Amino acid sequence: MKIIKDKVAKLSFVALLITMTAAMFYAPTASAHGEKSQAAFMRMRTIHWFDLNWSKEEVPVNDTMTISGKFLVFKGWPETVDKPEVSFLNIGIPGPVFIRAGSWIGGQLVPRSVSLELGEVYEFKVLLKARRPGDWHVHSMMNVQGGGPIIGPGKWTTITGSMGDFVNPVTTLTGQTIDLETYNLENTYFWHAVWFAVAFAWLLFWIKRPMFVPRHIAVSTGKASTLISAGDKKIGMVFAVGTMVIVAASMGTTNSKYPVTTPLQAGLLRGMKTYQMPEATVSVKIDDATYRVPGRAMQMTMTVTNNGDTSVRLGEFNTAGVRFLDPEVHEDETAYPDDLLAEEGLTVSDNSPLAPGETRTIEVTASDAAWEVYRLADLIYDPDSRFAGLLFFWDENGSRQLVTVDAPLIPSFI
Amino acid sequence: MSASQSAVRSRAEAVQVSRTFDWMILFTLFTAVLGGYHIHYMLTGGDWDFWTDWKDRRLWVTVAPIVSITFPAAVQACLWWRYRLPIGATLSVVALMLGEWINRYMNFWGWTYFPVNFVFPSNLIPGAIVLDVILMLGNSMTLTAVVGGLAYGLLFYPGNWPVIAPLHVPVEYNGMMMTLADLQGYHYVRTGTPEYIRMVEKGTLRTFGKDVAPVSAFFSGFVSIIIYFLWHFFGKWFAKTDFISDEAS
Ligand SMILES: [Cu+2]
Repeated sequence: MKIIKDKVAKLSFVALLITMTAAMFYAPTASAHGEKSQAAFMRMRTIHWFDLNWSKEEVPVNDTMTISGKFLVFKGWPETVDKPEVSFLNIGIPGPVFIRAGSWIGGQLVPRSVSLELGEVYEFKVLLKARRPGDWHVHSMMNVQGGGPIIGPGKWTTITGSMGDFVNPVTTLTGQTIDLETYNLENTYFWHAVWFAVAFAWLLFWIKRPMFVPRHIAVSTGKASTLISAGDKKIGMVFAVGTMVIVAASMGTTNSKYPVTTPLQAGLLRGMKTYQMPEATVSVKIDDATYRVPGRAMQMTMTVTNNGDTSVRLGEFNTAGVRFLDPEVHEDETAYPDDLLAEEGLTVSDNSPLAPGETRTIEVTASDAAWEVYRLADLIYDPDSRFAGLLFFWDENGSRQLVTVDAPLIPSFI
Repeated sequence: MSASQSAVRSRAEAVQVSRTFDWMILFTLFTAVLGGYHIHYMLTGGDWDFWTDWKDRRLWVTVAPIVSITFPAAVQACLWWRYRLPIGATLSVVALMLGEWINRYMNFWGWTYFPVNFVFPSNLIPGAIVLDVILMLGNSMTLTAVVGGLAYGLLFYPGNWPVIAPLHVPVEYNGMMMTLADLQGYHYVRTGTPEYIRMVEKGTLRTFGKDVAPVSAFFSGFVSIIIYFLWHFFGKWFAKTDFISDEAS
């Protein structure tokens, strides 16, 4: 009975290991739709993406599209998230459905991590080359060391064609043009096959003779030395020396075939060029802000002063990529994703032009289902219940001013 | 059937049963090692083995042998001292690499579409064969640890170089120099593996100029020696038979 129990125990252990291995296989396949589950304050008070533009909605394989825009590194960066001193401009897509053919911040190529300054605006662009057909949600994204991925707005983009047609030609500094999609693949298979063959030969040499029971009897009766013959030792020597000869020889031929190689490149880019927004002449003070849970609306009472020389009107409130517009002042012409755009979501108690020198207290309401859909309302459950966002004002000439707001938020449940 | 009676009636039958046992044990051992070693290697070596743009001349060279000599040392301890079978290291490494190839091909490529030339596993076979042969010839744990462990560390980089070198050819890309491996990492977007978590060329070996790979390999070899001892003991302990006294009888 005990033997059977042991066997069952042993087999269950084996089964467990196999299951765990199988489970590991699924690890890297998790898809990339974390945008809604990310804490609201992370999206509202870290990186503000605006002026975003997805250049195409449909791209054939091998064609390119760009995502461009600006982002503001929020001054009131939350204490609970590491500062963006080491950040990487990424792209939120489910695996390499596009390849990232280029990415720039302020005109500088950023294959490396960069250091960003709080309170600054940066201009960015990511060039994507279509690789795998399908409908993909394409997000802008910033990874921050110690802070994790900060996902920007996403837009559905369709890739058409066939992945089999995808090519990725690259010209090396030694003058060859290669297809990075398949480059070095045969060489990799070849060497792995060679070494697997050597290993199997060695295993076979031992496995083909009786193994466990007779050998165990021999070892436990003191006849271990009879189990390894002089011939075995000779074969062993051949394998060991042969291994070292193959390693040395293949290394030699590799070096003569690839005389120029360089180490992997890494490093941090500092002093990124910032984007200068026109100086804001409007100043805003938030008197109070409430989020009405049943109405899915945020109400702000703010005192606005116009210190400039032309009158201004409030046209947009943007937070976490959700844009609330007053259509009388501003309409979107960039085909911004529908679910993130409340074209008539912004109501202002008195949005008549604010004359130069004038101060006015206004009631601003930003309402849209997006508060719930994008779980921004969850902000009221955050440890530091503040909201933040961007206000855009337009003057008579149609030029735009950006003012950031950052204030406590009181929920209202009735 | 009493214990004094044999389960087989002839020598031929005994041989046959013994052989069946061989295959059953071998299969179980191979699968168990594949599972355990694979999990261990993913947790400790992880990204260093997944991506070519992590396979640098310093940290990859140092980390991979140290974390991968573990199971070979333990399985050797079992197979050699109990059965005089000098295949513990090779068997472990073949199991691991088979598991990895399945994972890379089925998941990284088949499911997520990362090109195989970006996500193939490291080659650990040369070191494993040398480790097995040294144990067979020397019949000594100390000798295997010292000579074999060092050789295991030293053989790793050259054993992988024929596959890695072509990816270390430099390119000029939009005004920056990078290797083809770096470019693979940049092109084939990984949302969860941002550039800054890549551990490349970090540490203080600057005084060795550009010859850091051999220095790293030696360092790796030395640490592999210690890890070998440790895991060889684990293996011995795991493979020992204990008879528990039966109070009831
Ligand atoms: Cu998405």
